[in-house]
Amino acid sequence: MEFLNLLLIFGAAWLVVRRPHRERLAFALAVTSCVLMGLLFFIGTRTSVLPGLNY
Amino acid sequence: MGHNRPFFSLLAWAVLFIAAVPVGTSVFVLGAVLGDSPCVLCWAQRTGMILVALMGLFVLRYGPRPRYLGLSVLLGAWGVYMGIRHSAAHVVRDIGQGFSVELFGAHTYVWSTFVFWCCLAAMGLLLVLLRDGEATRTDRRWNPFERLAGWVFLVVVAANALQAFASTGPPPYMGQSDPVRFSVNPRHWVWSTEEWAPAPISWRGRWAIPKPDPATLAESAPRPPSAAPPLRAVRAGRIGGTLHGPVSDLAFDHASRRFLVTTGHGVYLFDSALSGVERGTVVDPGFSIDLDRVGGAAFLDAQTVIAMARNKSYVILREALEADPARAARNFRFFLASHDAFDEVARGRVATVRARMQYVHAVAYDPAGQSLYTVGIPNATVPRLVVSRFDRRDLTLSEEFVPEIADGLAGALPAGDRPLSTLAVTGLAWDGGRLFAVSAAHRLLLTIDVRLRTITAAHALTDVQVAAGLASTGAELVVAEPDGRVVYLPRPAEAVAAAQR
Repeated sequence: MEFLNLLLIFGAAWLVVRRPHRERLAFALAVTSCVLMGLLFFIGTRTSVLPGLNY
Repeated sequence: MGHNRPFFSLLAWAVLFIAAVPVGTSVFVLGAVLGDSPCVLCWAQRTGMILVALMGLFVLRYGPRPRYLGLSVLLGAWGVYMGIRHSAAHVVRDIGQGFSVELFGAHTYVWSTFVFWCCLAAMGLLLVLLRDGEATRTDRRWNPFERLAGWVFLVVVAANALQAFASTGPPPYMGQSDPVRFSVNPRHWVWSTEEWAPAPISWRGRWAIPKPDPATLAESAPRPPSAAPPLRAVRAGRIGGTLHGPVSDLAFDHASRRFLVTTGHGVYLFDSALSGVERGTVVDPGFSIDLDRVGGAAFLDAQTVIAMARNKSYVILREALEADPARAARNFRFFLASHDAFDEVARGRVATVRARMQYVHAVAYDPAGQSLYTVGIPNATVPRLVVSRFDRRDLTLSEEFVPEIADGLAGALPAGDRPLSTLAVTGLAWDGGRLFAVSAAHRLLLTIDVRLRTITAAHALTDVQVAAGLASTGAELVVAEPDGRVVYLPRPAEAVAAAQR
C-alpha cells in the first residue's frame, strides 16, 4: 500500500512539474494520498489510538 | 505575487531541504547503505513529510492558495501526532533503548516529531512573509532553482517508491510492524498482510486499566471457591464517628492500641474499639503529587502513618502532638480539613517493575524489616499477582515476586490457568512474619509467607460482603467494609487449631 501511495505522490508531483495545467487532477491525487497515509497509520495504531503513555 | 521573492525562495529551499535531508537521507543512507527498513508507522511518517514537501511544490507552481496552505498545516499537525504516537512506544524505556536506527542520539521516529514541528514553524514563518491579498491562485513559471527542487523531489519520491515496493510490496501488502533488513535481493523481500488482521479499535489500548473499587471487584466474583475452608466471624461491629466517604482501609498499632482508618482522602485515628475518632484530617489530593483515592494505610510507628493511594502515590503524616498556633496556617496547603491534627512528613510515589501498570489497594508495614508491602491488582495488561516490597528508609523497590501456591492449596483458589490473576487484594496486614491479604474478588483471605514467597493458606470469608481493608490486632484479624462495617476474624492458624481440637 505504501508503494501505491508513493506512486500517487509521484503522479501528483509529475503533473505539477511537467503538466501544470492539470492542477485539479494533481491536487486530487495529493488529497487521496493524504487520506491513504492517514488510514495506513490508523490501521497500524488502531489498538491504541492515543500514545501509550501515562496520562 | 510574483514579486514576493523571499517567500518563494524560502519555500523552494524548504522543499529541497525536506526532500534531500530527512526523506533523501532515509532512503539513500539509512535504506540503501545501512539496510534500514521502515515499519508501517515509519512509512506513514515518511510519506507525511513527502506530502508536506509536495504541498510546497503546489504553492511554488500555483501560488499560496488557501487549500494548499490549509492542507500543509493539517499535514504538519498530523505529522506531530504521528511522531508522538510512534515515539510513545519507546521513549519510556531505559537510556539508549529504542527501535531500529539511532541518529545523533535519537531514533528516527523521534526525529520525525522534530521534523514535522519544524515544518509547522516554517509554515508560520512563510505565512508571515505573505502580503495582504497574496493568498490567491497565481500561475507561476519556475526559475532554475525551483525546477531543481521539483526534480530532486521527483527523484527522491521515485527512490522511495522502489524501496517501498521491495520492503512492503504491491497492494494489498502493506508495511510491517517489525520489518526485516532492507535488501535489493528479491529473495530477502518479505511482503505481508499482517496489519490487515482484525483487531479491536481502542483509544488507550493496554493502558486502559480500570481503577479498582472494592464493591465492583466483589461483584465481579462474589463467591469464594467451594473448596476454600471458611473462616467464620467471631463478631461484627461498626466504625463509629463521621468519616468523609467510604472506608478504604484500616491498620492497627500494637504500641498505642489504636486503629488507623482511611477513606478516599480521609485519615483517622481511632481507639481500640473503633468507637470514635481521636484525630482525623482530609488530605489535599491535588496539591503537589496527585494522590488518587487512598487504598491502603499502615502505621510506620505509633505516631506516624502512611496512606497509599491507588496510583502508588503516598503521603506520610505524623500526629501533631505539640501545640503550635501557627500550625493550622502552615498546614493549609496540605489538608482540606483539621489543619492542626497532623503534619505532612513526605509525599511521593513508589515505582514498581513487575507490578508496573497495576493499581494497588493495600499496604502493610513490617517494622522489624523496615519494609512496606503492596500487592498489585491484576488486570488484562499485567494479569499476575505481584507482591512488592519497599525499603522504609528510601521507599525504593527492594523485592518483587509472584507468589507460588503451596502444595494442596490449588483447590482453595479460583479455578483456571492463572488462579491468582482473578484475585484483587484490597487489604493487607503484616503479622508474625506473614502477610495476610484479603481479596474483594472471591472473598478470600490469603496467608503469604514472604520468606518462601508462597501462599500457604486461603480461607473463604463467608461473613464478609465487600472487603475493603484489613488489620491485625495480634489476637484477631479485622476486615473493614466500605460502609463502615467491621468483621472480626480469628487468625487462620488459631482457627485451624481450634477446629482440630
